[in-house]
Order: sequence, then structure tokens, then C-alpha cells
Amino acid sequence: MKIIIVGAGEVGYHIASRMAFENKEVVVIDRNAEAIKRLSDNLDVEAVNGSGSSPRVLKAAGIKDAEILLAVTDSDETNLVACMMADVISPTTKKLARIREGDFDAYHQVFHDQAPHIDTVINPEIEVVKSIEQFLRIPGAVDVSDFADGKLKFVGLYLDPGSRLAGIRLKEIPEKIEPRILVAAVVREEELVIPGGDFRLSAGDLVYFISEEKGLVPIIKAFDKQARPVRRTLIVGGGRIGTRLAAVLEKGGIQTKIIERSAQRCSELAAEMKKAVIIQGDGSDQRLLIEENIREMDAVVTLTNDEETNILVSLLAKRMGAGKTITKLNKFSYFPLMPAIGIEQVVSPRLSAINTILQHIRRGKVLSVRTLTDEQAEVLEAEALETSDIVGKPLRKSSLPKGSLVIGIIRNGQVIIPSGDSVIEPGDRVIIFAKRQVIAKIEKILMVKLEFF
Amino acid sequence: MRWAFVFQYTAILVFCLGLALVVPAGVGAFYADGSTRSLLMSAAIAVFFGTALFLIFRQPRTEYISQREGMAIVALGWTAIGFFGALPFYFSGFFPVFADAFFESVSGFTTTGASVLTDIEAVPRGLLFWRSLIQWLGGMGIIVLTIAILPFLGVGGFQLYKAEVPTPMPDKLKPRISDTAKLLWKVYVLFSVLEVILLLAGGMTVYDAVCHTFTTMPTGGFSTKGLSIAHYDSLYIDIVIMGFMVIAGINFFLHYQMLRARPLAYWRDPECRFYLLTLVVLILVVSFFINGQVYESLGESFRYGAFQVISILTTTGYATADYNQWSAVAQLIILTCMFFGGSAGSTGGGMKIMRIMLCVKFCYKELFNLVHPHSVSYVKIGGKPVSGAVISSVLGFLALYMGIFVLCSIVLASMGVDFVTSFSAVAASIGNIGPGLALVGPVGNYSEIPYFGKWLLSWCMLLGRLEIYTVIIFLVPEFWRK
Repeated sequence: MKIIIVGAGEVGYHIASRMAFENKEVVVIDRNAEAIKRLSDNLDVEAVNGSGSSPRVLKAAGIKDAEILLAVTDSDETNLVACMMADVISPTTKKLARIREGDFDAYHQVFHDQAPHIDTVINPEIEVVKSIEQFLRIPGAVDVSDFADGKLKFVGLYLDPGSRLAGIRLKEIPEKIEPRILVAAVVREEELVIPGGDFRLSAGDLVYFISEEKGLVPIIKAFDKQARPVRRTLIVGGGRIGTRLAAVLEKGGIQTKIIERSAQRCSELAAEMKKAVIIQGDGSDQRLLIEENIREMDAVVTLTNDEETNILVSLLAKRMGAGKTITKLNKFSYFPLMPAIGIEQVVSPRLSAINTILQHIRRGKVLSVRTLTDEQAEVLEAEALETSDIVGKPLRKSSLPKGSLVIGIIRNGQVIIPSGDSVIEPGDRVIIFAKRQVIAKIEKILMVKLEFF
Repeated sequence: MRWAFVFQYTAILVFCLGLALVVPAGVGAFYADGSTRSLLMSAAIAVFFGTALFLIFRQPRTEYISQREGMAIVALGWTAIGFFGALPFYFSGFFPVFADAFFESVSGFTTTGASVLTDIEAVPRGLLFWRSLIQWLGGMGIIVLTIAILPFLGVGGFQLYKAEVPTPMPDKLKPRISDTAKLLWKVYVLFSVLEVILLLAGGMTVYDAVCHTFTTMPTGGFSTKGLSIAHYDSLYIDIVIMGFMVIAGINFFLHYQMLRARPLAYWRDPECRFYLLTLVVLILVVSFFINGQVYESLGESFRYGAFQVISILTTTGYATADYNQWSAVAQLIILTCMFFGGSAGSTGGGMKIMRIMLCVKFCYKELFNLVHPHSVSYVKIGGKPVSGAVISSVLGFLALYMGIFVLCSIVLASMGVDFVTSFSAVAASIGNIGPGLALVGPVGNYSEIPYFGKWLLSWCMLLGRLEIYTVIIFLVPEFWRK
């Protein structure tokens, strides 16, 4: 499989490294020679220096035999033109463009349906805002993803020492929690394990589980998280994501304040927002935070472009009495540190972008993909084809590789949380949890069997 | 400053006024009431002066009118037609001094509706028709003034509509101002025709229906009856007139929208919404306070409360009840209404709802900024920010309005007029309402006001009608500097 990535920025670089890890053929195009050098020095990918929208460069990168083109430069326009040019040269290539400008939001589906040169428009910012909303709604969750159109929630939670679940075996969980949950994985000391029934939970574990949406509230309660409902929110950083989030919160009737450093941006925000209060100042200024009543804030969301500022402001806000903090972070290397310094809820536009892109890169009928925050595993939602290996036998006998687990089945819109005896029927949608090492095998299983041809 | 140019335009207006005078002369001839002679005489004088001035000050055609010249044309033009329009009143002999005739005429053209007549029914029909017609013409003048001329001069609440406010107007009516004005005049005429028909259906005579329509649509308020609308004592007529007063107080752009099958335009427009809500709240409050005290039944309180509040808030000035008899709180609310006025872009006077709304929002913003000293916020109308320049112009207007109100009240009181009469007379004149409180209340009139007081109030009416800046600018030395 050959993938061409236009733009060696944050997302481009990361996708390239991810694909290279999975032994895929990757070509990255970027105008910036330095970025190209960094890429070819560190990754096993081909790097082409030039404009991604130039037909000459695209040809040189081998667009004709590429399966997928990803246009993820910082410029929406470049991305669009790159897709258009690629379509002219090689119509069979699947083309994905990242478009971030909000005015395009309503047209994503239109692009998909009517513009032949773009197969899919992705905007990670929409996903990030969605995750933040989920975090605000589900107290204590560090990871929430939707499957089966939101009917199933895949949630990651830290187990607090005071929780009634601390110290019990997995097979005893049904006695403690009413709606059934399926624990998919536990992260203990940065090590991800897929636990068996005798596995004993302990305080400090990060527990990933799947549950039906309607049962989520009592389940979360069983984790005994101390959380207050979110009515007042402070957003630090009024960039694209901050603005989007504020607009969503405004609609939901949540009091919102935005702290933004740039005066110019502040006046733009003030003109755009209906109810949100726009404060001009530095989010790390303690006096300003006190003035704006940080103690009464149920949630503080730090979304500036500076990772370190986000971390520090979140810590500061927490220390000054804010209910909870949500931190925007792009550097994956920081993720493992976060629980240690007390930052639980983290969102990453880069990770969101990767999730969306992976969904299109994965073979088989994959409907959605979520990567866990530390990237040790993925959750895929896919359609079980008639010819697939997992169909027609009880799960305990199926040929799923070690390190993977079927955690949900959707049959005719009905959600089933499977046990070892469940059988997958053709046409079912299955949700599979898989460690990163076995992803390639899972892809094969999901694909049509060879003898079929 | 090309004065010749200013005079030329004024001459055209005077000439047209002369032509318009032929209409009431015809009415007078029809009823054979003896008013035709004075009306035709005035018509001849106006036509003669108009032609003469035009020929004397004839100018080569020019494309450009400066802001100063524009203001001078507006102020001088309105004064001149006030002067020539007063001639038939003066000649008729019903007005003993010229100040009275001028007062009546200016009160008509500015759609105020304040009168010095003590016995209206005694005045010949031709003359009363002229009195109503000048209000109707004044209303037309105001429409073109507010939508076209004042924004160009940089004054007036309507400038907001130019760029600042996203009114529910996807198509900007017509690109050319004169086309827009013609369109809105059609709306104005259409509503007038409608009102005449509805009043006829209520049993009014053709003459009365036309005269009352001529004074409802421009929110004027002259009546052909001494008792005003109370004369008819008909619930139907009350309701029809209330309806058209409310309509006349709404921005005419919105009527145009409505006629193009967008009935929600009224509700989508923030100013109109504020105006309607203000009306409803004030009506309920006033009805509550006069119930059981002046009127026995709730229905009666509501009927008279609603009529008076609408009449004063829209700055029309008709009456079906004497609110001088009401409790102090009801009277004070009526007085407050005098300052509010209609919407920007309507024929109503007063400070205009748009300005009140902006002022309230601005005050809230100031308080908000005290709580959040670092916040960045805008005064918004309909979700869109209003520029600081517009807000300071509005605040300046309100300050000038109140300042002039206070000053003129003091001057009037110094002529020996009593306390309540002086300030309410000034408020009713600047606001172009008509009736005030006490001596000049709904059943009284302005005949008792001293000679100089009438000149002062005439000036106040012009001031209020021409959005203050246009008139007051002549008192600024900088205006005269070369």
C-alpha cells in the first residue's frame, strides 16, 4: 500500500511515522526543505521537497500508483488544490483533504458527494471539540469515544483509591455495577494489558471499558468520582478550537468565559460570540484568574497554541480551586507524564486527525478508528464481511490474534456486549480492541479472504 | 458654502407647497365654507416666491452637495415651508397673530399635532383639510429625510441601518436612494388608503376619514374634532386608529418586507421587537394603575390606557381620554413615553427606540466592564457589534436632547408658564407629540402659551423633527467659519 502525504507538519509527520511502523510505503511532500530533512533523518519514508499542489511534484512522488493521498498542509487552499491536481493525474487514488476553516463545515458532505476530486474532508478540530464536550459531560473520563453512532461509549477512567471497584476481580464486577460493562484493557505502570476474569483491579489503574450509552451514568457513579456538574466554563486561548467550543457551549446554555492574549483576536471574538465573556489577558496571570473567579469554574479548558502554557495553566487552575481541567496537548511524548503531575483529561487535535485518517487507511470495511491516548492500542469499528474469518463461530473459538478482543457487536441497530459464546453474523458491525502489534493481522481478518477471488 | 444653492432648493420646496395648496382650496370650494380665498391667495404667494427665488438663485447643475449645504437645505427648507404653510391660517383670521399661524403650520409639517385652536369645529373645512394635509406631506418628507438625507449628513438614528445593523433585509431595497424613497412612499400611500377604507367602514364621513388618516400615518395627531378621537366614542374606530398608530411607529423598511410576504420581518428586527414589547409592557402597567381609580371596569381601563400609551409613544397625540385626571404614576409613564418615540425609519418622533435601546445596552456594557475590567465586549444589535462612533453619536444626541429639553423648559417657565405645563410642553414639542400635561394636556391647547413661548416651541418642534444636529449646527460658530 502506497500513501502520499502532502505536508510534513505535526499531523503529516506523525501519520508518516505511524504508517512506516506498519511497513507501509510512505512518500511525504513538503515545501520546507528543513521539514523534509527532519523527516528523512528520522523515519523510513521517502521525502520529496516541493509544492504538494504541483503536478510535477505529485508525479515525482508517484501519485499514479498511490492508493491514498493525504493533504494535510496548514493551508486549506493548498490541500484542496493538491487533491484536485491528484485527481487529474490519477483518478483512482483515494484523496483526503484537511480543511479547518469553519465556513466549510456545512460543505464536508457536499464535497464527498459532489466534488469528485475529494473523497473525504477531515477537520480534527470538530473531533476535538466533540471530545471536550464528552469530557465535560462524563466526569473523570480521560478518554471517551463513540461507536455505533454514539450508542456505545468506549471510556477510559482512572480508578481512585476510594472507589468500590478498587481491589476486586473483573469477574466480580457484575455484582458491583448494574448495566453490564466489558473491561477491554487496563493500563498499569504505563503497560497495557488485556485482562482476564481473575485480574484484580487496583487503585491508580487506568481502566478502559465499553458500555451502552444509556447505562453510562450509573457506571460512572460506581467509580466514585468526585465531580460537579458543569455550568461554568473558562476557556484559555481563543483560537479556532476555543471559538468552536465556546459556540457549542453557548448553545448548550453553559456560561462561558474566554481568556485570550491578543487584543485583535479578542475583538474578533467579542463580535462573534453572543453570550460568552471575552477577557483580554494572559491565562497564566494569577490575579486575572482570581478576578475572573477561577474557584467557581466547574471546568477550565486550556487551548492555547503553547503546550507548556496549557499544562501550567491547567495545573494553576486546579490548584486555585477550579473543578476540573481539560488540556490541549499535541506532543505524544508528554502524555505518559500527565497523570503523574495531576492532569487527567487531555485532548489532542493531532490524535483526532490521526484517528480520522486511520479510518480511511485501514483496509476492510472500517467505519471508525480510535487510538488510545498513549497509542498502545486501537479500537476499530468495522463491518464483518461474509467471507471474514471471524464470522459464524463463537468468539472463544475464533482466530483473533492474542492482544485483540471483540468488545461490541451491533446487529440491526441492536447493541450486544459480547461474551465468549457470542457469534458474529455476516453484516454485523463489530468493535475490536487491538494492541498496536496485531493491527496488521486484524486488518487481514477484516478483509475479504483470498480464496474468495 | 453656496448659499445660492441652498436658496434654490428651498425655492423648489416653496413652489411645490404652492401647488399643494390648490388641493385644500378645492375642498374649501366644494364645501363653500369661505376658506378658498385665503388658500388660493397663499398658493399664489408661494408659487410667486418659489419661482422668483428660483430664478434669482438659479445655479448650474451640480453633482455635489456638501454636508453643510445639506444641513442648511434641510433646516431652511423645513422653516420656509412652515412659514408659507402658515399663510392661509393667518389670512383666514382664525389666528390672531402670525406666531399662532406659524406655530400651527410648523406643528403640522413636523407632524407634532400641537394646536392653538380653541374651537376647532368653527374653523372652515378647507382650512382644516390643509392642516391635515401638511401633516401627511410632512410624513412623506420625514421618510425621505430619515432614509436618505440624514444618513448622508451623518446624523440620525437611521444611519445605523446603513451598515451596522443586520436588519432582515436580504435585498437592500433599491440601490438608488430616490428609488428607495419612492418605494417607501408607495407603502405609505398604501397604508393610508387602507386606513381610509377601514375608517369609512366604521361610519366616519369621507372628509373625516381622509383627514384622520392624513394625521395618523405620519404620527401627527391633528383632528377635525375638538375632542379628538373621543368625539366618535367608538371602540371600532379606537382599534383601527390604534393599529395604524402602531404601524406608523414601525420602520417603513419592515413594512416593505412584510408586503413582500415576510411577515416575520417585524419580529426578527431587534428594534421593532423592543418597540412592540415596550408598548405591551407600558400598556399593561398604565392599565393596571388606572383601573378602579379612574375607570370601573378592567376592559375600559385597558381600552383607554392602551390608546393613550400608543398615541403618546408613537408621538401621534390623539386622545380618547384626559390623562390629566389619571394618577401621578400613570401620568409619569405617559411623560416617559414622550421621550421614547417611534422606531428609526418610521414617521414617529422622540428620541427613537433605536437610540434608547443602544443607550440601555451601552449602560449595561459599562456595568459589565466594571465587573470584568479586562473583558472585551461590544454593544450589539441583532448579534452584530455597533461601532464606537455610532454609540458616541447616539449618546451625544441623547445628551443634547435632554440638555435642550431642560434649557427650553426653564426659558418657557421664565415667561410665567407653570411648572408642569412648561416641561411637558417642551417635551411634547421636541418629541413631536402634541399634547403635554396640565394646561397643554389632551383636552387643552397651546393658545395660553405666551407669544415668545410659541416661537420657542415652534423651534423645538423643528429641532426634534430634524434630529437636533441639523438645526443646532447653525448655532455653532464653526459652521459659519469659511
